Amino acid sequence: MHALSALLARCNAERRSLAIVGGDTLRAMLLPPATESVLLSTASLARIVEHCAADLTVAVQAGVTVRALAQTLGAAKQFVPLDAPHADRATVGGTLAAGWLGPRRHRYGRPRDLVIGSVAVLADGTIAAAGGMVVKNVAGYDMSRLYAGSFGTLAVLAQINLKTLPLPQRQRAFLARLPEGTRERAAAALAALAAPPAAAFWIDGFQSAVDGDEGDDGRLVVLIDASDAALERSTLDLRSALGRAGVPETRIVDAGAREAFERTVDACVATLGERSITYRLPEGDVPPPRNAVAALELARAHALRGEAIVDVMNGDAFVRVSDLDARALGTKIEAFDDALHAREPHARVVAGEHPIRNDLAVFGAPPPAIAQMRALKARFDPHAILNRGRFVGGI
Amino acid sequence: MLQQRLIDALGADAVKTSPEDMSVYAFDAYSQGRNPSAVVLPADVRDVSAAVKIARECREPIVARGAGTGLCGGAVPIEGGVVIAFARMHRLLELDVRRRRARVQPGLINLDLSRAVAEMRLFYAPDPSSQKASTIGGNIATNAGGPHCLSYGTTVNHVLGLEIVDENGEVFTTSIDDAGYDLTAALVGSEGTLGIVTAAWVRLMRLPESVRVWVVAFGEIEAASEAVSAIVAAGIVPSALEMMDAVITAAVEEAFHAGYPTDAAAVLLIESAGLEDDMNAYEAAIKHIVEAHGAISWRSARTQAERDALWAGRKGAAGATGRISPNYYTQDVCVPRSKLPAALRAVEEAAGAHRLVVGNVFHAGDGNLHPLLMYDRRDARQVAAVIETGNAILQSAIDLGGTISGEHGIGYEKRDAMTRVYSTDDLATMARVRDVFDPQRVLNPEKIFPRGARCPEVKPPTLVQ
Repeated sequence: MHALSALLARCNAERRSLAIVGGDTLRAMLLPPATESVLLSTASLARIVEHCAADLTVAVQAGVTVRALAQTLGAAKQFVPLDAPHADRATVGGTLAAGWLGPRRHRYGRPRDLVIGSVAVLADGTIAAAGGMVVKNVAGYDMSRLYAGSFGTLAVLAQINLKTLPLPQRQRAFLARLPEGTRERAAAALAALAAPPAAAFWIDGFQSAVDGDEGDDGRLVVLIDASDAALERSTLDLRSALGRAGVPETRIVDAGAREAFERTVDACVATLGERSITYRLPEGDVPPPRNAVAALELARAHALRGEAIVDVMNGDAFVRVSDLDARALGTKIEAFDDALHAREPHARVVAGEHPIRNDLAVFGAPPPAIAQMRALKARFDPHAILNRGRFVGGI
Repeated sequence: MLQQRLIDALGADAVKTSPEDMSVYAFDAYSQGRNPSAVVLPADVRDVSAAVKIARECREPIVARGAGTGLCGGAVPIEGGVVIAFARMHRLLELDVRRRRARVQPGLINLDLSRAVAEMRLFYAPDPSSQKASTIGGNIATNAGGPHCLSYGTTVNHVLGLEIVDENGEVFTTSIDDAGYDLTAALVGSEGTLGIVTAAWVRLMRLPESVRVWVVAFGEIEAASEAVSAIVAAGIVPSALEMMDAVITAAVEEAFHAGYPTDAAAVLLIESAGLEDDMNAYEAAIKHIVEAHGAISWRSARTQAERDALWAGRKGAAGATGRISPNYYTQDVCVPRSKLPAALRAVEEAAGAHRLVVGNVFHAGDGNLHPLLMYDRRDARQVAAVIETGNAILQSAIDLGGTISGEHGIGYEKRDAMTRVYSTDDLATMARVRDVFDPQRVLNPEKIFPRGARCPEVKPPTLVQ
């Protein structure tokens, strides 16, 4: 931490820009670093500082991987629902900094909702703590949540303190092929369940990347987190609701439920090298998966292949558009990007290797409070050394 | 000049100018500040904007105010100025049942929101004990908690976006769905020092399928607090886990006949909400733990009426102490949950050293203590003892790795204690945020940040409870 502070202070004095990297799993959510940037990896901040199992809290350094955290907590039958793609590489700091929104957030809260404290290093080397190791704390401004989602442009997160939750006793995944004309009814049935699933995805495409078989109307991957006592009832409710929605068969996966869930999360940001761009569409005014279906039609209209993973419980969608080769994608994607943003102003790029990505509306519509955000950036990092120019509105 | 300009802009019925009318707005539930120069009751965001612009031009500070139920001087006009009170902006503006969200004005009373959406089987989760009176705007300013924050989180987890009037009277909006910084999170809990909330999108939750409430009595307070720590350590997070000691249950029973045993040293009120299928296992697990810790009685509330009575007693507990003491002071500290027994011992010792009666009623599952120190404000010795005891409790919480406020806020009362939990660098970093949103320190001045060299010394407000 002190080495990090010294490094930042030096770069600040020299006005040298730094590109901050955690597990490098969500890099496409940000613009690429300027070529003269110094790469700052949080990999050496890999210590679990303190797991207070009896308090249901944990303090970790930013570079701890999501998997390592899960393993430590799992040994005490606890977890933090970060649900980041590529958990083996994704870091806790990077997941928070990127404002990643896991599919179980409707149930357990957003990752930032579980943050109870942090230690951050500012551009000038100042080491600043906020919050602590208690689960309720209103002493001072909520700096930790301000840093979450800031992509390291205000400060480098060095340590994060989190609330942990008791691990569900059982996890069960369900896979279903959807007969024609059932996708909207199936999604509505899932959202209305008295025992809501922990996560539910409607998927069109992503053939081998996710489990199950595709039906005429796509497929479902559903995850239930339940106690021993509630598992069978949740299963029964789910199957009968889907049955009424016209989905006759669901396959149960018990061993490997978590893996099936994780493969789906990974697929949300999976690329086809330079042949694809993936957008995240926020929950819209229409019930899922209608917003994604409209985006898929738009892709077809632009002669692009479209695939979608819709997070039914939260309403947002990941839409991947691709073509046979990078050149073909490059000729069509800008027109698609314009058309998509005309419909979905808040659509954001979350994955894609094609260099043209940088010319797209990566962050969607500029936020109304962009002036306040720029002022914050200027006050925290006046020489813009932290991820210079990589975030929304040139921040 | 100031008053006339406000009347011209907002209308005579929206501006209070007589000293008697305005004196009400010099108080909150903790302390008294100066009489304001004017009090405005805006009808909409345009009124708020106009009032801020006029106040700035007249070089008056601005203090936003909800219901004035705060317990740390947060809404008190320390330097006078213009108080913007939101009593007239109390409407539910929009309701999106499918997406379970509502847009509300800041003066909407917390409980009124849950009542308004109950028939849709929805509710607003943050439920401070003041919820019959306190407003969503005030709750946002303090990032208010409540018993059910144990499982649902505090206010910040339930605010989706804000409409804000800034220090210049300009309006901007935030949303947690916007690209860029999470300004919503930064503004929630900022106690009116970064902007004035004029509307909020809040998250609603589905009412649970099944709710059970249990009352567990203990012969010793220590055993009760150890049971709480053990429940949490076992990975059981009920929807609420509250504790009351004998001083409190006696007052509550006298006032409400809520159904609490009066022969116990401490009582736990435990609520579990969720699937009916989970309830029996939950009940068995909790019962097993409390019995292992020496519980002397266990009662399930069978009916909705019984549950409601228990909760009404719990939420009215502080007020009920009026029956045993002319005044009380509420401390609010939070400690790691395994430190609960030690924190309660420290409370006991601190109060004992000053020969004060203390009642404990608090969010045990969160480690969030609320010792109520009983006193008579006409007795200067008792007032001094309360201040010293409150201070000792604060220090003991810090020593146990806790914090100086779990949910009530820092306000005026605890500003100087901020240096005990944060370094100069930590505080200077928070001040950078203030520099951006309120560089002139005109929004609720003299709050949160400790008195520094650049701030004039002001007379401490008097304890009024």
